[in-house]
Amino acid sequence: MARVNNWQLGREMSYWYPESRPQKQFAAVFDTNKCIACQTCTLACKTTWTSGKGQEYMLWNNVESKPYGSYPLAWDLNLLSLLDGQNWGEENGQPVYKGSTIFESAPAGERVLGWRPESEDYAYPNVGEDDCAGGIEHGASMEVPHAMSWFYYLARICNHCTYPGCLASCPRGSIYKRPDDGIVLVDQGRCRGYQECVRGCPYKKVFFNPMTSTSEKCIACFPKIEQGISPQCFENCIGKIRVAGFINTPDKAEADNPIDYLVHIKKVALPLFPQFGLEPNVYYIPPIHVPAAFTRQMFGPGTDRAVEIYRNAPNDPDLTSLLGLFGSTERIVRKWKRVGDKAIGMDENGQELVNVPFKEPIHIRPAYDKLYQITRTNCP
Amino acid sequence: MRFVTSLTILALLFATSCSKVQVPTAEVNVAQVKEVTLDPNAAVWDAVSLHTSKMILQDLVEPRLLEPSTSEVMVKAITNGSEMAFRLEWMDESQSDMPGPRHFIDGCAVQIPSKIDPNVPAPQMGEIGKTVEISYWRADWQAIVEGRADNINAIYPNASIDHYPAEAKPLENNPQAQAETAARYSPARALGSRRSGPREQPVEDLIAEGPSTLSPAPNAVSKGKGVKTAKGWAVVISRPMPAGFSASSPSQIAFAVWEGSHIEVGARKMRTGWVPLILK
Repeated sequence: MARVNNWQLGREMSYWYPESRPQKQFAAVFDTNKCIACQTCTLACKTTWTSGKGQEYMLWNNVESKPYGSYPLAWDLNLLSLLDGQNWGEENGQPVYKGSTIFESAPAGERVLGWRPESEDYAYPNVGEDDCAGGIEHGASMEVPHAMSWFYYLARICNHCTYPGCLASCPRGSIYKRPDDGIVLVDQGRCRGYQECVRGCPYKKVFFNPMTSTSEKCIACFPKIEQGISPQCFENCIGKIRVAGFINTPDKAEADNPIDYLVHIKKVALPLFPQFGLEPNVYYIPPIHVPAAFTRQMFGPGTDRAVEIYRNAPNDPDLTSLLGLFGSTERIVRKWKRVGDKAIGMDENGQELVNVPFKEPIHIRPAYDKLYQITRTNCP
Repeated sequence: MRFVTSLTILALLFATSCSKVQVPTAEVNVAQVKEVTLDPNAAVWDAVSLHTSKMILQDLVEPRLLEPSTSEVMVKAITNGSEMAFRLEWMDESQSDMPGPRHFIDGCAVQIPSKIDPNVPAPQMGEIGKTVEISYWRADWQAIVEGRADNINAIYPNASIDHYPAEAKPLENNPQAQAETAARYSPARALGSRRSGPREQPVEDLIAEGPSTLSPAPNAVSKGKGVKTAKGWAVVISRPMPAGFSASSPSQIAFAVWEGSHIEVGARKMRTGWVPLILK
């Protein structure tokens, strides 16, 4: 194994191949606080890419109702229970992961630490979706039967990781990371369906196609990315929770790059299970109403600060304006700036793509309408 | 007197049983026959000498197989001068022929060096510059070739599918449009991968120059047929005679077996080293 730098861990780690970062790295930020689990993203992806024979159970994009929802079943819990000692420490004021990654804890004879979902694990795309966790007697009012009176929605696609577990797992080199944009793809002509990638991806975002004996995965809608357009699940997002772009490493962060600003400068968007060691490139603004013990395990040691920053967004016009750019255009916003009460989204050449007022004008109507001499009500 | 009678009976029993049990040879002797058969139960195999290969773990390259399964494979070989057929038989009580997540498939393979050379390639799928030819049989392809539907309902009988775009009403009288739409949702088939179907043979032709280099052979030339026996599989794989192979120019052969229920797939397999392949 080679030694590579994983900035999300704050240290070097072991990986199957030497460090080789792409010219640009596709990345995204999802705001979990805005997701309403309408699954429009899921359907947009399903309709576009996985409506064929052998793809019936595949959801390259899915939305889970946390803490119970998971697809495949318990994808997160199963690996968390395999991975020992996920402790974070601090060095020079920066968080450093003290535990082992899936690469560093690979058992003898294996390329990574992993597990294989059964067919049945794919049978429930979102178990417990918006359900309470117990039976309700007839006539009873709903009471949450457990201490966790919260849930939130976690939208998931392939993380197009810097150190993909799928790529490391494939003994044939059938999985590759595009040098121009860092998108991770399975070569359908080379794949022989060994399902090692399914075993090795901790996010379980590679799926086996039993009709073609190959494994398939999210391609980040690369034909659209190549034209500067966001993937289907971004463009069709009703809640406008997503923004697509490209991320730099922290030492090369650019304040006018939306992803860099949210991840590196504001540190309001965090990787999903950074302790796995893959340096995933989909970042999440953590839910602000969920107990910190849960979100810290899921998003790492920056969670408390990210929640604090997000809660303070109304007092932070720059952050507010950038959040207003989410879902404002199908084009990929490579640069942004705030001008007064407007957020301007631009392409890589600085040409304006969109401008969005982030403060809606407020109109106050008096309760009594003097003109018509009538008292208004809120009824429609 | 009673003692002598008992000895005589024992001797007769021994002689009778010996007439049915073949003593395995150290090499694979290829018997010359008029006609090559793909039927593992054909009578022609009864007269052919038996070779038994002990199998070893593939434990050299990750992912490795660390727990042994199939202990040996019994091999017979025949040729009609142009085609060569191998009958492989091994123990595997479970029948694994349904693909799916965490479902792996019973299979076997024969491997022969592309060139006859005293300096043989590494038995682990050859090495750079020393190609090996591999004929690989799989139980799921056997079932499909024999008529099992190649669709999701064959695997999950209760599966309910709303709609496939390729089967949309407006396309029903346009086979070309249907095929084009189906290909859009099946990238492996769209690439023309023989492996990804539709399948006409349960055997795949491959070449390799070492681990992780396995590639489709230029032509599909192998055939095969496998049958489930009471305790395992009996499979015949046929392929053209290796280039340069003759009575005076022997070659080498190696075997691999995958037990699907034991999560054996790809590099996770039981294998043999090279065994001399001799034309009798």
